[in-house]
Amino acid sequence: MEQIDFLRLRFGLPANWLEGLELLKEQETIFVGTSDVMRFDNLKPLRRGMRLCRIFPHSVKPTTFAMQILGKKAMKNRIEVNDEQAKCLINGSSIEIDAAVENGFVLIVWQGLVLGVGLYKKPLLKSHIPKVRPVE
Amino acid sequence: MRKIKSLFPEEFIDRYARFIPDFDSFLEAMVAPLPTVFRVNTLKTTPEKVLELLADFQPQPLAYYPLGFVARNGQGLGKTISHFLGLIYIQDAASMIPALVLDPKPRERVLDIAAAPGSKTTQMAAMMKNTGLIVANDISLDRVRGLIGNIDRMGCLNVAVCRTNGLTLAQKVTDFFDRVLVDAPCSSEGTMRKTREALRRWTVKAIQRFSTVQRGLIRAGYQALKPGGIMVYSTCTVAPEENEAVVTALLKRYPDAEIVPFELPGFLTRPALREWNGELFPEEVQRCRRILPQDNDTEAFFVALIRKPINGTD
Repeated sequence: MEQIDFLRLRFGLPANWLEGLELLKEQETIFVGTSDVMRFDNLKPLRRGMRLCRIFPHSVKPTTFAMQILGKKAMKNRIEVNDEQAKCLINGSSIEIDAAVENGFVLIVWQGLVLGVGLYKKPLLKSHIPKVRPVE
Repeated sequence: MRKIKSLFPEEFIDRYARFIPDFDSFLEAMVAPLPTVFRVNTLKTTPEKVLELLADFQPQPLAYYPLGFVARNGQGLGKTISHFLGLIYIQDAASMIPALVLDPKPRERVLDIAAAPGSKTTQMAAMMKNTGLIVANDISLDRVRGLIGNIDRMGCLNVAVCRTNGLTLAQKVTDFFDRVLVDAPCSSEGTMRKTREALRRWTVKAIQRFSTVQRGLIRAGYQALKPGGIMVYSTCTVAPEENEAVVTALLKRYPDAEIVPFELPGFLTRPALREWNGELFPEEVQRCRRILPQDNDTEAFFVALIRKPINGTD
């Protein structure tokens, strides 16, 4: 799928970043999971695997939860943040940060771990992390 | 002790003083605050990294589970970045036991018949190293939403979420799964340490109602199991009607079902009951284990390990 190639190139992910996994496109969303999960249909699952990305007319937006687990090896368009910046972003705020990345969707990294997805337009990093519960 | 006893319905005291050993210790434990325990999610991190990130919470390892830790100071643990990131799952220690006993392996097919909110589903996903298939089922839409939230947070790629009536689900997946977890909805007596809600709702009538549902779920779980497959039946309650009597009902329907003995080194459990209210349970039912709150400073639980023979009947 071209959207998957786009994500791999955008974030400098290795060619085998989805090795052993299968994809399923439903309308404008691509799901990712193990082949056993993606082929299981006996009980009409509400959900198979995890949302990998959403497809927009001019862009592809990866999901925070998928990139937390599948984006560990990303080499490009990552922005490292400290504790305070991480808390702001998880709680839905934007921060100003000068980063050597392209404008567009980026991976926010904290302590070497992918925290989630943000939208960068220099110098503003807008959080696209789902609001689950506040972090203190 | 009189003050503690007054917190429980008289009928509760009458029922359980009859068979729970060290009954005063049991009651004291039931009103003591529950320690904050968490499990490290190996799909995302290592215990070493978590110990470094959560040093302020002074985590102490559980003797019987290298991925489980008690936070000496647990306040605010659920609001940390580590929790948001799914590096940990806050879960009572006793609630980690059913998945440990079931012991799912990579690339297997596993059914979690009443899965929400997903503590055991996500624990099993990590044990299976994000391979194979876990069908996480729950009938309640609200609870399924929470289940999906936890599956996402913990990074599980091997889970299909279904919303099917557990009682009828086996018709479509007969003899399909290598392992089945029936962590049944129950009267939740064992969770009274965490929330008084279970105590407020407690009635013998409710126990009987749950028992009927549980008998259906254990039967459905057994039918969904491949010949030679393994099933765990568990509840977080002490009522024999929801535990030994349910396993006995399964044995009556499937006499060749085998109750498998098990041990958890470092974790104290007690044998199941031999009889209750005049009903004598089959001897092998005593191989099931009761987890009492005073023994390991946990909630109360009941766990049965059941094997379907290779040439078992459906």
